[in-house]
Amino acid sequence: MHRSRRLIIGGLIILAALAYIIYGGMREAIVYFVTPSELRATEATANDKFLRMGGMVVNGSLQKDVKNLTYRFELTDGTASFPVFFRGVPPDLFTEGKGAVVEGRIGADGVFQATTIMAKHAEEYSPHADGKDGYPKSFVPGKESAQQ
Amino acid sequence: MTATLGQTSIVLAFLFAIWGVVSPILAYRGHSERYFAFTRIAILAQFVLVTLAAAALIYGLVTTDFSIRYVAFNTTRATPIYYRVTGLWGALEGSLLLWEWILIIFSGLVAWIYWDRQRETIPWVLMVFSIVSAFFLGVIAFISNPFETISPVPLDGRGLNPLLEDANMMTHPPLLYTGFVGLMVPYAFAIAALIRGKLDEAWIVATRRWTIIAWLFLTLGNLVGAWWSYHVLGWGGYWAWDPVENAAFMPWLPATAFLHSVQVQERRRMLKVWNLSLIIIAFSLTIFGTFLTRSGILSSIHAFSSGPVGGVFLVFLAVVLLGSFGLLAFRAELLKGQPEVDSMVSRESAFLLNNIVLVSALFTIFLGTIFPLLSEAIAGTQVSVGAPYFNSVTVPLFLLLVFLMGVGPMIAWRRASWDNLKRNFLWPSAGALIFAIALFFWKVRDFLPLLGFTLLAFVVLTIFYDTGLALRARRRIAGEGVFRGLVTLARRNQRRYGGLVVHLGVVLIVLGIAGSMAYSVEREATMSLKEHLNIGRYLVQFEGLKGSQQPTHFRVEGSFRVFHRGEEWGVLSPALKFFPNQQSPVGRAVHQSTIGEDLYLILSGFSELDKNQATLKVLVRPLVVWIWVGGFVIVLGTLLAILPLGKTPREEA
Repeated sequence: MHRSRRLIIGGLIILAALAYIIYGGMREAIVYFVTPSELRATEATANDKFLRMGGMVVNGSLQKDVKNLTYRFELTDGTASFPVFFRGVPPDLFTEGKGAVVEGRIGADGVFQATTIMAKHAEEYSPHADGKDGYPKSFVPGKESAQQ
Repeated sequence: MTATLGQTSIVLAFLFAIWGVVSPILAYRGHSERYFAFTRIAILAQFVLVTLAAAALIYGLVTTDFSIRYVAFNTTRATPIYYRVTGLWGALEGSLLLWEWILIIFSGLVAWIYWDRQRETIPWVLMVFSIVSAFFLGVIAFISNPFETISPVPLDGRGLNPLLEDANMMTHPPLLYTGFVGLMVPYAFAIAALIRGKLDEAWIVATRRWTIIAWLFLTLGNLVGAWWSYHVLGWGGYWAWDPVENAAFMPWLPATAFLHSVQVQERRRMLKVWNLSLIIIAFSLTIFGTFLTRSGILSSIHAFSSGPVGGVFLVFLAVVLLGSFGLLAFRAELLKGQPEVDSMVSRESAFLLNNIVLVSALFTIFLGTIFPLLSEAIAGTQVSVGAPYFNSVTVPLFLLLVFLMGVGPMIAWRRASWDNLKRNFLWPSAGALIFAIALFFWKVRDFLPLLGFTLLAFVVLTIFYDTGLALRARRRIAGEGVFRGLVTLARRNQRRYGGLVVHLGVVLIVLGIAGSMAYSVEREATMSLKEHLNIGRYLVQFEGLKGSQQPTHFRVEGSFRVFHRGEEWGVLSPALKFFPNQQSPVGRAVHQSTIGEDLYLILSGFSELDKNQATLKVLVRPLVVWIWVGGFVIVLGTLLAILPLGKTPREEA
């Protein structure tokens, strides 16, 4: 009796400690997926949450400053759009009219402050239709083009 | 031709596997004892047939036989020969075949080594192997078939995912699979012991070396994966808590716990149920890992419908869990009446605590990995759980584990006396404290890194101090010097000293992780020609871009001159590789390692118009190199523990 009570108490303490660190960890690190229209609807309550928003980069909305690595653009899901600010280097596929996923929080100015941009791939390793699409246009593949 | 040969071999092997499952049951039900012998024949037949099938697929890959769909999707005519061979595990179907092949090689080895030694047990062990083998062969033959043909035959193949074209990628999956499959050996012996109701320590003793070897491969598989991530993926990190990584890492935790807790059972006959449960869980997690990585359920829950493989693995996982734990419950009577822990301050209780921490870590990682699935299934909310969760949850647990690593090997069994504690821990603790104070004055003042480094110092000091005392005794008894003494000690007690060397390796790995987690710096900038950026003690200057056509891809390379404290180090050239069949370029990061820190350069973009601008990401990651050194030390320690190095009078923990 004495032994089993000790076991139960020990087990409970361990479980409580574990629950505590899991809860603390989850609260910090859970990322909610939203669409721009969902975010528009819940903007007021979404202020302190870490979010992941997916949508399409609105044509004509992208203002980039390559020197300072800042990007401003709007993401849309067709019904609503949301302004995003990002500092850093976006992935190569990131461009206007293409899908993108951003991660971050809504800033005090009501702009989504992205810490990460992920370009959306339809299928990660599918071959491209013409097979050459991934090449950088200025370096013509197949020809010697070494230069400084 | 090749496809037909492979396909036929697989189907035949499948039939032999079924036979291997049925025959011991027939023998048990009163048919002839000869049926037991069939289990071995069934395993050997599967070994020959699966080897034939694997050879057929490799032959197809090497000769670029594009009539086989798998070959067409994973090689091209331009693929170098060794990447054609590694195409065997470049995609789902082939990697299942590789898994099955390793599985059947292990089964064959077990059948060969133990048949005469353990006549009673081995048929049941082989039956367990055949059950798992039958499952994999069934999946390969009927669901995810690498020998499926296509027509018309394409002129050229599609090629391997370019990220896999790397020497480490040749070793990472086979290492990991060997680790996974290796865990099957203790699992199969445990199940056989449960079936026969012989629940003494025999199954643990018989599989001791196998467990250590499996653990080594599991460790190496994860480390090589981290190395690949760091050297090839080019994002500057080695571990992202990606679900795929978690899937590979999770079995390591119960396997490590098992390795320690079986010592308690060998020594004190305790924890029988616990040990059986641990090995069942470890093996189940290898199946679960395959389910996670191969079902596509992770990247998106909606991908579940993309293939039936995931569902089949889930069903098999349920069968394994229910079957194994059902058997355990059935034998519960035989497992009663074990000795109890005498004192909280003892080696048993240190090992028990180590097990609780490892299983807790497993639980938290498991929860974080499947939480997005649960959330979407139950609440309908799409969420993801990021690396910060895993870091914040596992760091305290792993720090506790490091502390136990210092205590466990030195504390006395049963009940540690005050004298024992004072003798083993007084000086190491004092040393660690002095170390902590020194660190504090050397401006390491954040709590977690300071605690981490101090605990690491404590572990190293306990090991050195204990070995030092033993060496002094050797000198007194036999007049041996330090080197002779070490050799004698290691040979007299290989398992203990091998284990301590492994612990030192783990210390180095934790050192690397702690240093790079706590003190990494990164900067990102777009630079024009001859511009530079400063980071830490480094200055990085942009020298220009260069494009070149490679056999399989087009490569754009940036040249950056690096100065360290004003002294020139040379030019580093990170690159972007453009593959004809891929949408986005693949980065080729470069780094310069020193024992103190790594300088890591990633070319993130360049201006296509004038070729005079490049965007560069620079990271300074302290102590990373020790992670790889630690892996090497672990290999040495494991070899010391298991190799028969001459006289081993009494093996003791």
